Order: sequence, then C-alpha cells, then structure tokens
Amino acid sequence: MARIEIDGKTYEVEAGKTLIEITDAHGIEIPRFCYHKKLSVAASCRMCLVDVANAPKPLPACATPVWDGMKIQTRSPRAINAQKAVMEFLLINHPLDCPICDQGGECELQDVAVAYGKDRTRFIEEKRIVIDKNIGALISTAFTRCIHCTRCVRFGEEIAGVKELGATQRGDHMRIDTYMTDTVNSELSGNVIDLCPVGALTAKPSRFAARPWELHTAHGIAPHDAFGSHLEFHIRRNQVMRVVPRENVALNEVWLSDRDRFSYQGLYAQDRLTAPMIKKDGQWQTVDWESALLFAAEGLKKIPAKQLGGLASATATVEELYLLQKLLRGLGSNNIDHRLQQVDFSEKTTKAPFLNQRPADLAQADVVLLVCANLRKQQPLLNHRLRQAVLHNHAEVIRINVYDYPQNFPVSHNLTVAPHQLVATLAGIAKALDEAQPAFKNIEISEQQRAIAACLQKNNKKIKVLLGEAADNLPQLASIRTLTALIAKLTFATFSETGRYANSAGAILAGALPQQTLAGQAISGETGLNAQQMLSQSLQAYVLLGFEPELDSIMGATALQTLQNAPFVVAINGFCTEAMQGYANVLLPMALFAETSGTYVNNSGDWQRFTAAVAPVGSARPAWKILRVLANLLDVHDFAYTASDEILNEVKMLCETSAQTVEDSTWVLSAPQALCYLTEPAIYAGDALVRRATALQATADAQACHGAHVNQRTADKLRLSAGQQVKLSQNGGSAILPLVIDAALADDCVLVYTGLAESAGLAHDVGTIDLTAA
Amino acid sequence: MFKQHVKSLLLLELLKGLRLTGRYLFAKKFTVQYPEEKTPMSPRFRGQHALRRYDNGEERCIACKLCEAVCPALAITIEAAERADGTRRTTRYDIDLYKCIFCGFCEEACPVDAIVETRHFEYHGEQAGDLLMTKEKLLALGDKLSDEISRDRASDAPYR
Amino acid sequence: MTHKTSSLISDESKADIDRWLQKYPADKKQSAVMAALRIVQDQNGGWLTPALIEAVAAYLDMEPIAVYEVASFYSMYEHKPVGKHHIKVCTNISCLLRGSDAVMAHLEKQLGIKKGQVTEDGLFSIKEVECLGACVNAPMMQIGRDYHEDLSPEKIDEILARLK
Repeated sequence: MARIEIDGKTYEVEAGKTLIEITDAHGIEIPRFCYHKKLSVAASCRMCLVDVANAPKPLPACATPVWDGMKIQTRSPRAINAQKAVMEFLLINHPLDCPICDQGGECELQDVAVAYGKDRTRFIEEKRIVIDKNIGALISTAFTRCIHCTRCVRFGEEIAGVKELGATQRGDHMRIDTYMTDTVNSELSGNVIDLCPVGALTAKPSRFAARPWELHTAHGIAPHDAFGSHLEFHIRRNQVMRVVPRENVALNEVWLSDRDRFSYQGLYAQDRLTAPMIKKDGQWQTVDWESALLFAAEGLKKIPAKQLGGLASATATVEELYLLQKLLRGLGSNNIDHRLQQVDFSEKTTKAPFLNQRPADLAQADVVLLVCANLRKQQPLLNHRLRQAVLHNHAEVIRINVYDYPQNFPVSHNLTVAPHQLVATLAGIAKALDEAQPAFKNIEISEQQRAIAACLQKNNKKIKVLLGEAADNLPQLASIRTLTALIAKLTFATFSETGRYANSAGAILAGALPQQTLAGQAISGETGLNAQQMLSQSLQAYVLLGFEPELDSIMGATALQTLQNAPFVVAINGFCTEAMQGYANVLLPMALFAETSGTYVNNSGDWQRFTAAVAPVGSARPAWKILRVLANLLDVHDFAYTASDEILNEVKMLCETSAQTVEDSTWVLSAPQALCYLTEPAIYAGDALVRRATALQATADAQACHGAHVNQRTADKLRLSAGQQVKLSQNGGSAILPLVIDAALADDCVLVYTGLAESAGLAHDVGTIDLTAA
Repeated sequence: MFKQHVKSLLLLELLKGLRLTGRYLFAKKFTVQYPEEKTPMSPRFRGQHALRRYDNGEERCIACKLCEAVCPALAITIEAAERADGTRRTTRYDIDLYKCIFCGFCEEACPVDAIVETRHFEYHGEQAGDLLMTKEKLLALGDKLSDEISRDRASDAPYR
Repeated sequence: MTHKTSSLISDESKADIDRWLQKYPADKKQSAVMAALRIVQDQNGGWLTPALIEAVAAYLDMEPIAVYEVASFYSMYEHKPVGKHHIKVCTNISCLLRGSDAVMAHLEKQLGIKKGQVTEDGLFSIKEVECLGACVNAPMMQIGRDYHEDLSPEKIDEILARLK
C-alpha cells in the first residue's frame, strides 16, 4: 500500500499501479489519448502530464507508477501549462474539418481541446496532408486527422493478434498504414473505430449517416455467436444507425466482433417482409394480420397432428422456441427441431452446450485441447480469451480439426485430419490416457497421439478440453463428443462445448427438440421427427420460424424440395425471398433482433434478457406474439401470455427445478471415404440477418468462403486446377463452383461453405460427392 | 377652479389635440404604399431561408447538421449520406416554415454559410405542405437571390 | 503469420543474419531486424524492395508491416535504387552554418543530378541527411562507409575524381 496525495486529498492505494489507473478509479479526470485500459502503455501523446512534487518535469500519469508519499497536482499552473502546450502541439497538424467529420460530437480531441486547450492558434504554417487509403469495407479512413496515438496499432498486435496497421515513416511524415495487404482483415477490426480518439478511423457502413447528438442508445445482446456479447444500439428516428460494444467485464470486456457490430445492416435489407401475405389460388396477396392468422390456423387445423412439423433457427429467442414447441406439442406433434446444421442424430439425449466455466477462467488455462473449433472466426471473443491464456499464461494449445484454421497464437500440437480419421485420432489419445479400457483394444496409438496425451496429463495444471461448433456438421458428431468428453474425464479437465448460434443452448433448454421437451425432460410417448427426417420425408404441413431451408439447412436443396412438396407451409420470417414464395402458403412478418424482446442463453450459461430497441419494420410483430395468437386460434391451452417475461418465467422455473438425465453414448470408428464432403456456415452468412449485411460480404473473410476448397494433392489427384469451374454432384443436389486450392484442408476432403446462394443447390449427403470439371 | 371652467368652455384641450392632428394632416406622409412602395431593409433582415452554392455551382451545405441541432423550434430535418464522389452531402434538407421562428440561429451555426435567411419575405402557401421547404426549393431560392445574398453577406462582413 | 522462407535472401546473408540472431534470445528474433535489413540491403546493391522486406519478415517471424515500420523509420534504409557511391550530405545545423548548401550545390552541379537522384551511369546518388555526428569538422558527407570532412569544392572534386 502507498499513501499518495492528489490535488490535496490523500488516498490509500496499491503500490505499483500507474497513476492514471488510480485517478480513473477515483473519478479524478486526467486527459489522455494514447492510454487505453486494455492496451499496453505507449506514453506517446503526453496529454496526461501531471505535476508531481520533486519531479523536475511534469510526468505522464499513464506511465508513472505511484510511490509512497507521492504528491500530485493535476491542475497546478505547471500541469495546466503542460496540458495546454501538448494540446497546441497535437492540433498543429489536425485539420479543422469537424463539420464533415463523423467523430464530430463524440471526439476525444474535441472534448479535451475545449477543456484543456487554448482558444487561439499560433500556428500559421501549412498543415500536413496524408493521402487516404482504402483499408476495406468496414473502416473508413481520414489519416490527415490522425494524432499518432497508435491505439489501433497496439490493438492489432495485442488484441486482434495480427499486426495489419503500423506506424510507418517518422516525424512529420509518420503515418498509420498497411503494408503488403491493402485491407484490414481481422474479425475484430471494427474495434479500432471505437479506439480511435479522433475521426481518423470511422465506421464505413454508417459513414455520414448520423450525428452523435441525434442518437439515443438502447441495450442489446449480440445475435450471432454463442458468446453473447453485450452491445449498444445507437438509434435515430426508430432506426438502428450503428452498433457498438457495451462494456461487460465478464464477457466481451470492451470489444465486439465485426459480425455483431455490422450485422444490423440486415435489418434494413431490401427483402424485409413488412406485411403478412397469403397465397390464394396461386397468387400472393398482402392482407391484414387477422386474415393471415385465420388463414394459417384454418390450414393447420386440417392437418393430422403427426403430419405437422416445426423447424426453427437457433437464432430465435428462448421464448419463441418455447412457444413453438408448446404450440406443436399442444396440437399433438413432437416433430420439432432447431438443429439445422446437424447430420448425426444418433444421440438419445441432447445437452445444452455450455463452457462449464467463465470465459475469464479459460484465460487462466495451462493446457487447452481444441477439438473441431474455429474459435477465431466463429467466436472471436472467446478466442481472444484463449489467446490471453497463451500469451500471458504460456498455455499449450493442442488443436485437432478437419480444417487448419489460421490461428493468431502459437499452437503446440496441430493435427488436421479427414473427418473419418477424427474418431480414430481421438480414440488413440484416449487410449494413451487409459490403455486398460477394453473398448480401445483395436486402436493403435501414434507417436503424436501419445505426445498429446502426455501434454494433457499434467498435475496441478488447469486443463481444458473444448469441443467446438464445427463438430455439429460432421456425421461423426456423437462419437467425437463421446470421446472428447472421455478425454476430459481422463485428464480431470473442464469439458466445454461452445455451441454455434446465439441461442444454441437456449433452444435445447426451451425444448425445441423431437425427443425432449423443456429443460431436457424426455417426452412421454413417441419421439417426433428430427430436422433431417422432417426435411427429407415430406410432411403435410410445416411451421417455420426464421428458417430459410436452402441456406440455413445443411441439406440445402433437399430441404427446399421437401418444403416445396408440402401442401401447407406457414413461414414466420423477417424476410421474404423468392424461394419462400415458392414453398410457403402464409408469410408472417416477424420482428428481428433489436425489434423484439426475448432471451438468449449463451455458452457461459447466462440467461441474457433484452428488450426491443426499435419498433419493428412495417407491420412485423414479435414472433412470440404471432405464435400466441396462432395457438389461441387453434384452441391450444395455456397460451394467455401478455408479455414475454411471463413466458420466460415459465421456462426458467421449469429449468431450475428439473435436472436432465443424460444417457451414456457410445462411439464407433467410421469408414474411410473416397472424397469427404465438409461444410461449414460461411462466417458472414450463418444466419438470415448477417447474410444481408452488405458491408460484411465485401470483407476478405467473406470472400474467402466462396468456391469449392480442396488441397493441392486432392486437386492433382482429381486432375483439377485452381480457379477452374468444377461440378459437385451428389444424391439430391449439385452445384458448379470455382475450385479453390486451400492448404488448410486434409487430403481427400472438399469444403463448401453453406449459407451462400452459390452452394444452395447442394444437399448434404454424407454418402457420396463427386467432383468433376464442369 | 376658474381656470378649469375657462378651459372646458373654450375647448382648449380639444383644439390642442386638433392642432397635432392638423400638423400631421399637412406634414410629409411616411405611410408606405405597400406593395408599390417598400421600406428600406437591413442586410441582416431575416426572411425566408435559402441554401447557397459556391461560384462553381457546388452546393455549400456539407450536412454537418449544426443548424438542425441549434434550431430551437426543431424546424429543420436533415438526412445525410456519402455522395458518389465521396463527399458528405444532404439527401434531405427540410425547413418547416410553420415551425420556424426566424431566429437566425441556423445561419449563425453554419460553418460554410450555406443556410441563410434572405430578405425575401413575400411568400405564401396555398396548400398544406407549400411552406415545407425542401432542399430543392431552398437551393432554387438561393440560386435566384444569389447576387443579393452575396452582397448582403459582404456588407455585413466587417461587423462579424 | 507467414512462415515461408524466402529464396530472395542469399545463403551468405542468411548466415550473416543467423550470426546476429545468436546474440538474442531464441524467442526475440525481431531484435535482429535492423541488422537483417542492413544485410539484405547490402546484398541488393544498397536498397530494399518490398519483396526483400517481406522476406526479412518471414525469416524473423515478424509481420511485414512491423519490418516496414523499422525500414521506413531509419534513413539509412533506402527504398529506391541508389548509385554505386551513395553520397549522404549532412545539412543539419552545424554543417549548414559551415556551408553545406554550397557543398550540395557543388555536388549537384558536378554530377548533373538533384538530391534524391542517381546519375545515368548508376555511379553516384545524392541524399540529404540529418546530423551524422561529425560537427567538429563540418561540413561533411558520407560516401558508403566513409566520412569526408572539412569539405571544400576542390576537396569534393578530388573525392569524386578518385571514385570515378
């Protein structure tokens, strides 16, 4: 402890902390530009100079540790003089273009200049000009405004893990620049917009659209990955103008992924469904809500319960999913599912994917085994925590995957294998950990597997085993999960599952599954049909919630075909596509993220409730209200909800009072295939909203998702070359795509991203895929 | 008492009043025969609004929205976007003259002298909406009165 | 991070860089960046190409931008072709007071080029630099590794004649 005096008041503080940390904690204002609490100290802007007794010169508060007996003056004549001088110096080359600068009104430089600067300029020489550079679709630049605080440069090195921006040249010529690559491609790049204290880096999608003083804020929860970042909407005239992170120490700290930041663009897509529509005599007509709901109820009434199916996207809220399953079960059907990306349904019980630890615990790990996880692109902020473990805790990371995703930290063991070898690999590691188990009798252990096992067997170390979202798309899901969980058990590790969507966990807790209802309770009576069955064998009627079969389902073409054959389809969706008009009979416009209240359960296990920030577009309504009225019209009992909290309370009460019994699952080795077909939702096309965010589609990450990916050896074997148009054909679907050579793939695998129009013609058929020149 | 009686008997006060009336009856008249005649007008007169252009025809307004922010009557509505050439421009600039109190704050706030209040005050609306000035109307008025507006700003410049 | 080792760096240069790398801890390879840049610059006839900067980045496990930051910061790294004899004329205060303007003017006249240019035969180039720490014998210039001090027009002519 140290006793220090700031502006005449005495404080008992922790010795060794920097002065600015202490003044911030006590609400004492010290101006700063380069200092940021989540970044390293640069002490380059000199704005935080304070007067310290017995120091020969004013000292920078951000880089000065406190000592016992220190006496600090923040507003003494010497401090004020220093602040004024620095401010004048910073403004020498800063242009006076505040009226056209997007930062105007929320600019740290403006605020500090008013509070600490002089009101006259003495600089009459020419100001420097820096030619702008286009660094991508998300960030707009005006480097003439830059004051060289280097927050963006430090962010790249320390947080994003890729140094894309740098400070080149020196003195008067110093500038922030990219090199070799022209664009900034990090999945966290949008954060430099928040970090930039001036208007040098601003958001391109909302460029020039609004002024900070016109905006009011509302809280929200990120709708894309299962991490559940907290965010803030900036709203003007009932329109979301931009999205920024909301500080939350436990989850996203002060960061937000680009996907969560820019996906709001999808809310105002051209194809938003704004009024209910029904198809009468083959003609679509816009009608009022009453007629549309009556039409839907009439249609559904005629269908025998067993012929009724419900499919929902896992981006729907807990309330919506709960009501959908309650409606269908009320009508007598258990055909309900949300696992649209899954192909292996062999597990009897489904458990909600939870990390079983806080994200901060992951940052404390010593050894981490990642199985089928693409954390960097799919859950960027969880990846950030893992990166902290590697950088600050020297954690060893072992990665086993079907695709060698580029990583922004060193990995000690990196294994990329074809899906059918994955089970054998995991079994090998498990056997190396416990040779005695009879189930592993015929398994051989390779040297590498033994090394990995040794790495995982460490005493007094925090070991984490993490099963990622990419496993969902593999036909070996059950075996992979069983073995990964077994490895975790044998190494006394924390077993985590990440889930893929914002509400992957919530959907399971809400009971949107054919074999289990709320809180994982097994249903009485016959198990319903799962997503795969529902989308391959035509039922007579479907209720779809926020689901676009050709893009959201892993079975793409088959799913679309099945729905087209169905006599009656009620689509509750935020958008209206041509395909939808082809198979649906009723289109009910639903309110999307930011327009509706609800709850997401993230992979940390938090039930995160949010309220509507803006009114829905057109006459769209929250889906829970649509489902409630539909249930009332169909005479289903217990549907008298007046607010979404009532639904949540009902769900939560049941979830808290009951415990799920999980049946033991088994594993089997899988047979090798000539050519393995791998799919994964494209980073910026994983759900209906982000797919329509135009700026994100122009990023390098989105562009990299196009085409059919194979490695060089596989291409040589098939006598195909890069850029060539190739035909992928399989049972039930085909697509013609350009061939992309991708060294990150294992041999004999072809990877095609789903969620894109180009691959919508494919149907996931695990059996065969043919790849030929088109 | 006596004085009072004399005063009222001789109608002195009435005549006093009539004298004033008489003086004005024959004095030089200052009634202005509007609309044939007009009073002199200050270059600072705050009449109908106009948006100005630079000499090269480029609109001055840069969509900074300071006028919208400062307007005490909330009469101004602006929407902005990036124009094809990358500059910041308004896509909508409305002034609701029903709300406007002609305080001139918009003109004071403007960093580029784009929005001005002109000497033009003779306007009317025949339908609801006629007095809702759009960007096109404001620019048209600015074009029409551009010489006068420039002259007025120049004559006022020394005092600013 | 790119791990491709580039063939642009000659084996000799690599050996030289490796010698420098030994002076630093194994996980602090970036410490050798200035030496590495100097070595590849010498190998390439006195100037650096973007490809060479990238090759150094790959060799030292650094991001290209980080290497470029260093290469653009220091004036002894050249980003444009230079002459065989690269003449660096100090024009900082001491030299300026002792007539560096005349030195520069004389050089430009004699060689027929302006500062920042290379003679047609590729023999000479002139660059204006800041203080090289030889104020005691100002004005001065540096050619290659050698300092030439107390310059006068005659002395410059003599030096140039020797180098031609």
